[in-house]
Amino acid sequence: MDHREHMNSLNDTCNELKNQYDKCFNTWFSTKFLKGDTNDSMCASFYSVYQQCIKKAMKEHNIELHDAQINHLETDKEKMPQS
Amino acid sequence: MKVWMSEHIFNHPWETVVAAAWQKYPNPITPSVLGTDVIDRKVVDGKLKSLRLVSSQWGFPRWTKPLIGDANICYASETSEVDPAHRQMVLKTRNLTFYNYITVDETVRYTPHPKDDKKTLLTQEAVVKVHGVPLTHYMEDLLASKISFNASKGRQAIEWVISKIDREVQDLANSAAKTADELITTTRHQIDDITSKTMHTMDEIQSAAKKSFEEVHDLSSLPPTASMPKL
Repeated sequence: MDHREHMNSLNDTCNELKNQYDKCFNTWFSTKFLKGDTNDSMCASFYSVYQQCIKKAMKEHNIELHDAQINHLETDKEKMPQS
Repeated sequence: MKVWMSEHIFNHPWETVVAAAWQKYPNPITPSVLGTDVIDRKVVDGKLKSLRLVSSQWGFPRWTKPLIGDANICYASETSEVDPAHRQMVLKTRNLTFYNYITVDETVRYTPHPKDDKKTLLTQEAVVKVHGVPLTHYMEDLLASKISFNASKGRQAIEWVISKIDREVQDLANSAAKTADELITTTRHQIDDITSKTMHTMDEIQSAAKKSFEEVHDLSSLPPTASMPKL
């Protein structure tokens, strides 16, 4: 069966950055986060370049998230102080 | 409004299932999901919170086009929270496309099975609301049946990902074992090499030492008359 190895990004130009970040994230999630290490700096550099790309792509595709959804993370952040 | 609920048990521990859940796409079972992008992600109070944008092909029937419009790619937002301390993962997905006519709110929860810690319980709930268009109930039924169909495919997809991860881990273990074997063999060769080189060098040193000792000995054994100029 013809099958992709990696999940695509919204925009093809972000695919490579997304794959690099995803690879790092999956390793971090299994080997660090699930074992109690909540420090997420491991993939921070991959995350930041990928975010720059995807935010630009979202603008180009005219994708806007509902306020409620954006606030989901923000309000939680405000409610719970960083440990 | 239409509510749809479902439960499923995975014969894998929670950690395995939630790791697979992040790697659910791409898979050959649900090719309609075209892309997933992380829009925001942070660890808050020990919990991982993520916001993802999911792009997919919904494949609406043609007759819905005049009612709600046409969209090749539909977008949905997925908010999720993973709490490793309480072994819980919750994902909430809501469509962004056709939002004015249709809302599909899906909640997926992964928790350890209450009676068997080595198994994982998946509970899934979807609330479908169609409004402002004719044939509301018919469309709701249609979407609910589609969700039901996709949910079973989604579970198969998780299983597929788990077996894929297992294969990769096995491959990694095999290659690690192979590397260890190679390393031992190489090291042994190197040790042999060093030993033979060392032995060779030792031989050389010994013979050189012997030679110079003999030379010194010869020198010292020469009669003084021969070595000392006569005054």
